[in-house]
Amino acid sequence: MTFLQFVEGPLFYFSAAVFVLAAGWRVIGLIRMGRKPDISPPKGSAGAGFIKGNLRHFVPRGMFARRTWIHFVAGYAFHIGLFVLFFFGAFHIDFIKQYLGISWTPLPRWGFILASEIAFAGLIALWVRRFSDPVMRLISDWDDHIGTWLTFLVMLTGCLALQESHDVLRGIHMLFVDIWLIYFPFSRLMHAFTFFLSRGHTGATYGRKGMNP
Amino acid sequence: MQDTLFKPARISVGKLVAGFVLLLVLLMLFGVTQTYAQSVRAPGNAVNLDDGIEDGPSNALGDDSQSDFWRNFRGGDPNDIKQMISALPEGAVMTTTGEHWRLIRENYIRKYAGWFPLGVIAILALFHLIKGKMRIQAGFSGKTLPRFNINQRVAHWFMASVFIILGITGLIILLGRPLIAPIFGKEVNSVLTSAAMQGHNLFGPLFIVALVWMFFKFVRGNFFQWVDIQWMIKLGGFFGGHVSSSQFNFGEKSWFWMVTLVGILISVTGILLLFPWLVEDLRWLQLSTILHAVGAVLLISVLFGHIYVGTIGMEGSLDSMLKGEVDENWAKEHHDLWYEEVTGKPAHEPAAKEEGTS
Repeated sequence: MTFLQFVEGPLFYFSAAVFVLAAGWRVIGLIRMGRKPDISPPKGSAGAGFIKGNLRHFVPRGMFARRTWIHFVAGYAFHIGLFVLFFFGAFHIDFIKQYLGISWTPLPRWGFILASEIAFAGLIALWVRRFSDPVMRLISDWDDHIGTWLTFLVMLTGCLALQESHDVLRGIHMLFVDIWLIYFPFSRLMHAFTFFLSRGHTGATYGRKGMNP
Repeated sequence: MQDTLFKPARISVGKLVAGFVLLLVLLMLFGVTQTYAQSVRAPGNAVNLDDGIEDGPSNALGDDSQSDFWRNFRGGDPNDIKQMISALPEGAVMTTTGEHWRLIRENYIRKYAGWFPLGVIAILALFHLIKGKMRIQAGFSGKTLPRFNINQRVAHWFMASVFIILGITGLIILLGRPLIAPIFGKEVNSVLTSAAMQGHNLFGPLFIVALVWMFFKFVRGNFFQWVDIQWMIKLGGFFGGHVSSSQFNFGEKSWFWMVTLVGILISVTGILLLFPWLVEDLRWLQLSTILHAVGAVLLISVLFGHIYVGTIGMEGSLDSMLKGEVDENWAKEHHDLWYEEVTGKPAHEPAAKEEGTS
């Protein structure tokens, strides 16, 4: 068994299983926690607050817009870029088809490159802001940096393998994908699945009290 | 309560980055030494031309017979031959620019490119051994001044990150054949060059974004002044003596304009190399490869000096780009005019007062 066969075979199955089971466990656990019974009479809708809380936090409040523009632009650039390059990259669609049997129309190569560049720009800007802003540096720990760097290395090794002429480059990319999948559920990378719950929880609490989340 | 919520991050970002980079390098070196690394094949985006290659390319001889031309060329009158040659589209029977380009690239650029950065590192190491770290003579005052805002710091580090990636990948592309192939073998060089080329092409456009961003964030304060001439004459005070300086000294201003101008050169030539169909004449591309390499090697070499002064070379410098603040004594000693401008206080006690008090 070659290195590539190993990282795309047994190791990938293992890491994908860890990812699905552990991430599912955490999300279901969070939902099952529910919230503390509130016996006060509701002054508004918790459900509406849940939705409002999610939607309103997609953009910063007016008073913070100016000082958070880097975070705002870089955050969207990275997340949208990553979404596009992952779900619409021809290689990724081929890979998904190989395992799940489903496929859809990929982006042309130039579109993939553009999405990658936008994602890289966003991720780098977010990371350098993390260590050059005193407050961000203070509240950041190993998990934040490791999560960022693993994601960066997954993207970087994927970009280095773009020529598709060496199995070893694809193998290294897949190895980092496997590590990333295993690390994901036990880290803050889980915010990809939990952000709507935390925003919604805050929104519902405020909504029930008749306040704007 | 605050302490338990937000524990100060005991983390060395530099060590973390170094660890990840080392892991990546080890994986690549480990991976490429495996036998399957020899499974080199055509790039994934390569196109198989189904145009009857077996039969040879069509119309290779052109529409007109050139037999008369070559017959006259072989035995004709020299004056006629001159006229014939001048009438050719290129003005010559054989264009030699390709060979000139190859010779320049092999005999000068590839031969000496690696020595410039190494030379700068050697000079800096020697300087450090002799002079040591430039300390803040009055020591840390404990009081700080804001120097760079968060936008400037992010723009700086964004440029630094992109430039480091481009520098490493570019050096592999340029020096892989003469340096990596003889030591690690052609297979390793093939894998690394393929990876480096893809990375270089992808991060190249980000350099242009970083360059524009950085220019607008730093151009203010980087125009040359008369005081810079004095700084230049005294060699920045690196060999003793005090030199006055505004927000940026002559060295910093020179570096800023070098990055800007050479950066534009690298960007333009990089665009031409990334999209070769933008020019019809091959000589533009040959010139671009040379200018791109020379400009990049220049920036990489001077970058080491910039990194040295910003980190281990000068006490208190790194704080300006990490925290955005500098110690007041650092500002007084290295940027006294700027200190006076932002605080309204004199950077150095007047001589008369000193005499009076002593």
